[in-house]
Amino acid sequence: MKTNFKKIATDGIITQNPTLKLILGTCPTLALTTMAMNGIYMGLAVTFVLICSNLLISLLRKVIPSEVRIPAFVLVIATFVTIVRLLLDKLLPDAYEVLGLYLPLIVVNCIILARAESFASKNGPIASICDGLFMGIGFMLALTLMGAFRELLGSGAIFGIQLWDFSIGFFSSSAGSFFTYGLFIAIFSLIDGVISKKQKIKNYALLVKSKSLDSNEITEEK
Amino acid sequence: MKNFFASLWFRCISTLFIIICFSGCSLSILSDLLYVSSQERTDRAIKKIYGEVQLYNTVLDGEIDETINYDFGFIDKIYEVQVSENESYLLFKSTGNQGYKGGTISLWISVAENEHGTLSIKKVILDGYNKQTLMSKLTSSFYGNYNLTDVTSAYENGELFTTDVNTPNSNPITGATKSANAANNAVNCVITYLGENYED
Repeated sequence: MKTNFKKIATDGIITQNPTLKLILGTCPTLALTTMAMNGIYMGLAVTFVLICSNLLISLLRKVIPSEVRIPAFVLVIATFVTIVRLLLDKLLPDAYEVLGLYLPLIVVNCIILARAESFASKNGPIASICDGLFMGIGFMLALTLMGAFRELLGSGAIFGIQLWDFSIGFFSSSAGSFFTYGLFIAIFSLIDGVISKKQKIKNYALLVKSKSLDSNEITEEK
Repeated sequence: MKNFFASLWFRCISTLFIIICFSGCSLSILSDLLYVSSQERTDRAIKKIYGEVQLYNTVLDGEIDETINYDFGFIDKIYEVQVSENESYLLFKSTGNQGYKGGTISLWISVAENEHGTLSIKKVILDGYNKQTLMSKLTSSFYGNYNLTDVTSAYENGELFTTDVNTPNSNPITGATKSANAANNAVNCVITYLGENYED
């Protein structure tokens, strides 16, 4: 079966966005989106773990018995999360400090386990890598946008660059994180609904056109 | 025997065991390759406090010498950092205990002699912690409250940092009192050491 890479990409970023559509990985989403840069750091870490774990699980999918697939997946994911921790501590200590407790929590991030179970364990390595990549990009984009929004309104800065002195403390607080998350889910659902409606109208028009063509053919034959 | 090796039970256990072995081997190799030495950590702390890596001399290194112990914590590293030709700072790595669940907080504390000849705490940053769960409440403004202008005077007057709001040098945090207590104890180790060993 030929892999539809375009569908994998659009699923990861838009139609099946793990943060805004599937509502997975809400713990780091709420806790780390105080700044845009935090979203990028977390997104990169999760993307790396997603790609590596998806690849390895896909390669081992015919070897791992289904009875122990979950513990096997968690072992694989935990290994890559530890590798990310070691890399960040050595190469990007600022990112390591910012991510703090949420870095080891990537092991139990639902996005990674869900993709391992629902995609990587059933598809080939190349498709699994693409799925991990685009899911990670979707996660990173959602976190970065939310972080930028909260940073802009909460402290008047973006990516650490102060733009204005005006700030609304609410958006830097925990309550603000929930509000922002709900707002972004609502906006995303609205956009998704408009796109789906347009697609349905387009599909209906195509269906009507094909049916009318069929009935013309039948009339001509008669 | 053949049935045993072909059994599902054996396949499950052996698969998990092999994954564990490969993971363990790769992680042990990588942790050696990506090891961050204590000198690297010191360089990072110095860069964070002083803006760039400076030359420094080791006055005390807890890995070689004995640490300076108090009831409320200990100092395991002291460096003399040469910021410029005529200016040098003392940099302490101090750990305060009596935190949440008996845990600890380690801080880097920069001390300098100011123009009046007194010792003052210039900057405090976090190094690490153990068993504390509410470290996000210890913000930069909390650490900024440790900027004491006269350390030896505070020691002589018994004005160590506490979480009690009725004391002169109080630095509490609502909802993270024990963690604040451990951080205060780390700073108090430095104040006590300087009070006992340095004269104005």
